Amino acid sequence: MKVSRRKFLQAGSAALVGLSIKGDRPIAGGFVNDSFQLGHQLRDRAAFPSARNVEKHAVVIIGGGIAGLSAAWRLHKRGFQDFVLLEMNQQPGGNSRWGENEITAFPWGAHYVPVPGPKTTYVRELFEELGVLKDGVWDERALCFAPQERLFLYGRWQEGIEPAIGLRENERDQFRRLEDLIHRFRASGGFTIPMERGLSQSHVDLDRISFGEWLKTQGMDSRILDWYMNYCCRDDYGAVASETSAWAGIHYFASREPEEKGPLTWPEGNGWIVKRLLERVSAFVRNGHLVHRIRRTGKGFGVFCGETEYQAEFVIFTAPTFLAPYVIEGFGSLRDFEYSPWLTANLILERLPLSYGSDPTWDNVVMTSPTLGYVDAMHQSVRSHIERTVWTFYWALADGSAAVNRQLLLEKDWNYWKEAILRDLERVHPDIRQCVSRIDVMRFGHAMARPKPGAIFSEGRRRLAKLEGRLLFANSDVSGFSIFEEAQYRGVRAAEKVLQEMGGARG
Amino acid sequence: MGILLFITVLLIAACGLIYELIAGTLASYLLGDSVLQFSTIIGCYLFAMGIGSALSRFIHRGLAYRFVWIELMLGVIGGFSSALLFLAFAYTQGFQLLMYAVVVAIGVLVGLEIPILMRMVRERYQFRDVVAHVLTFDYLGALGASLLFPILLVPRLGLVRSAMLFGLINVAVALWSTFLFAKQLPSTQVLRVLCVVVMCGLGVGLAQAKRITAAAEDNIYADEIILARDTRYQHIVLTRFKDDIRLFLNSHLQFSSRDEYRYHEALIHPGLSAIATPRRVLVLGGGDGLAVREILKYPQVESITLVDLDPEMTRLFSTHPMLTALNQKSFLSPKVQIINADAFPWVDSNTDNFDFVVIDFPDPTNYSLGKLYTTAFYKAAARHLSAQGLMVVQSTSPMFARDSYWCIVETLKQAGLKTYPYHVYVPSFGEWGFVIASTHEYTAPTLLPAGLRFVSVDGMASMFQFPPDMSPMNVPANRLNDQVLVRLYDQDWKDISH
Repeated sequence: MKVSRRKFLQAGSAALVGLSIKGDRPIAGGFVNDSFQLGHQLRDRAAFPSARNVEKHAVVIIGGGIAGLSAAWRLHKRGFQDFVLLEMNQQPGGNSRWGENEITAFPWGAHYVPVPGPKTTYVRELFEELGVLKDGVWDERALCFAPQERLFLYGRWQEGIEPAIGLRENERDQFRRLEDLIHRFRASGGFTIPMERGLSQSHVDLDRISFGEWLKTQGMDSRILDWYMNYCCRDDYGAVASETSAWAGIHYFASREPEEKGPLTWPEGNGWIVKRLLERVSAFVRNGHLVHRIRRTGKGFGVFCGETEYQAEFVIFTAPTFLAPYVIEGFGSLRDFEYSPWLTANLILERLPLSYGSDPTWDNVVMTSPTLGYVDAMHQSVRSHIERTVWTFYWALADGSAAVNRQLLLEKDWNYWKEAILRDLERVHPDIRQCVSRIDVMRFGHAMARPKPGAIFSEGRRRLAKLEGRLLFANSDVSGFSIFEEAQYRGVRAAEKVLQEMGGARG
Repeated sequence: MGILLFITVLLIAACGLIYELIAGTLASYLLGDSVLQFSTIIGCYLFAMGIGSALSRFIHRGLAYRFVWIELMLGVIGGFSSALLFLAFAYTQGFQLLMYAVVVAIGVLVGLEIPILMRMVRERYQFRDVVAHVLTFDYLGALGASLLFPILLVPRLGLVRSAMLFGLINVAVALWSTFLFAKQLPSTQVLRVLCVVVMCGLGVGLAQAKRITAAAEDNIYADEIILARDTRYQHIVLTRFKDDIRLFLNSHLQFSSRDEYRYHEALIHPGLSAIATPRRVLVLGGGDGLAVREILKYPQVESITLVDLDPEMTRLFSTHPMLTALNQKSFLSPKVQIINADAFPWVDSNTDNFDFVVIDFPDPTNYSLGKLYTTAFYKAAARHLSAQGLMVVQSTSPMFARDSYWCIVETLKQAGLKTYPYHVYVPSFGEWGFVIASTHEYTAPTLLPAGLRFVSVDGMASMFQFPPDMSPMNVPANRLNDQVLVRLYDQDWKDISH
């Protein structure tokens, strides 16, 4: 075959151009653990099969997150066996689910527990049982390794997330004043974990305005302080400060006074706790069991799941409470419960990227980013030399309407989120695209309760929190916000209540 | 005459570009950040050429005479530029200033060349031919130079001799211009003599270039580098000065062969000699085999397990003749088992017991290494101690890093161990500290292996005494969640360096 001169030149120059383009690493991945399809079946009241079998248990726990597993842990620990836990997903753990690959385990959601104070008795009890707290000393390996956190601002990293560099004198003054105010709130005893122990009518006014408004009334107008307050609200509540109850904003700071440099964390985040709980109660846990109806009967409840009716004297409902109107017959409507949509992603890194000369830390936050930054799963490894790792990227879609953001989560494809994540990370790691080989994205439409103004002192919330009757609500959202300690507290309390009632009935 | 003229253009273009490339390469070598160096040098050079071209309009008469002078000056400045810059880097603080001055000077001269040359020949040719031919040969010369430079000049001649060679070419152009433009020159004798003198100077420089670079490099690196290797884990450099071999890991001195016996005898014998029947020994770190060499002086020891991260390191110290001479082929002993692994996870997962555990890691300069100096690590390591077991830890200098040293002692205490701190003098390190730690009482040995050069039974008591300037400090323990040691260490060394 004779090659024309023109063709030859074309081929040659194409080859040259091809050689000169330095390819970014191909990045694999996709959406994982989607569960909104199941939720939408409930919402749309899809046709479910009618029951063919009947199973009887004294107690049915609905939901296998921290609250449900904690209820199971408590029942089991008290020697109670006649119960079953129904979990909609194939993997239990709820917001504390985790993943594992050949490099490390990594979290899909909640990734730490602040070192619990003396009032957080159930959490301390659990950690004593798990060996994390021994004779009053916290296990060094479960405490977050140094250096813990860093914040990128003004083109450099600083240690710690609270902005400390480049503050003007009046801004420093505002931080100091806020600290004094928080100190006073802490001393008042009204802001505790669990929140129920301290909740006091004297702070009801704080629930009537937003945290953003409250800060303004205190004369706090520093932009840096405002960023930090918003970051904290996004981090714990998935909401901006102007949509968070001032009571909740203050609670974030006033409820904790750690006795040890923490927090407690593990490579798989709170998935580590889920694993330990499952070691104890997995015999009672049924995965892939979507409860579609709960009906009151003469003696108790009929819980319908698949083709089975579970007949129970008690139901502990630990699924997100917003599902109750769709599942529980005669529940009516639910007010004052709002939720934040989230996105998390796990990135496999073949090597660590450039980082403007800073030591890698566990939690990494960028001031100019709308996201919450990322956590390094290998940080909690005792290895001295680390090459590959997994980063968990957190993004609370806090700005704008939750409904619109939920729609966005559903509509945009994986490529959109992949690009958004990489562009966000490129702010601080210019060569990130040469390091990442995989990005898996998890979408949560209703990730965590959003404590809007009015949510904490809401009648509806407080009624559910009372644990009246035999249908007990125990999701952390019953506290108004979704944190590990509240979920565990509500689960354990519900179990205690059941044991107490049954002891009375049978004793 | 035409072709000769255009060859002249070609040569001077090549010379100009070569000087520019040499400056860029040299700056990249010595200062790093090649993008910045090349960009700024090319920028300065082109700008200076512009200045030269602009200045050419002020030259009215004596074009040929000035052209020869320009060539001569270029030959001298360009020819010696590389040697001058090398020496300036080695001996002065003003390397960058000088470099840009040289680049600008050469640029200005090169910028003058072509306009003057074009004006010199304008009567002989039509204007458009002059422009076309001169520029064609100018660019051809640049192409030739840019290809010659990386392929032949840098690898074969090096930077110093390449500059001198092209300096010679510049002067040769000057010399032959005195013939080429003889009619336009007032007198050629003086110029020709000057050219010959400069050529001799450059010729001598060319012959002596090796000595110039050697003089410069000697001042940059203290000693001759005999081996430099980037492994997956670290940068290994071995240097030699006469009989002194030094090992650097990531630029931190690990030992000097002149006095390492002091360090390694002190690391091993106070502990190992105090154990009644030591059979199994564990060494963590110590990939140079020098601690193992000392341990092999105990015939009762049946097995030595060495855990070092870097296989390249243990391979080097098993095979390189200069290094195996130092460690007396300790790694080739059948008693020695080498495991290349990360120490902390290995200590966590292994279940064996040892009578003596040697912990000899690099100093805690960062949080990754700092993990190996925590209560969590010492607790894990102590689980490997047999009933008669002792542990010894290299613990930085109690003199220069006094807080760090006592922090390590405190950390061992908080890990539940009894501690026995001691120190020795190692000339290349200064005062250096170690800690023996165990679950039971330690008493110093009364018998040592024969043939030790430093540690003696009589001298041992003084090693455990700390004078007031090294006495204990009140510092917290180092923990995984609060690595105070890395901060203390950083502060300690900052304090003594300034």
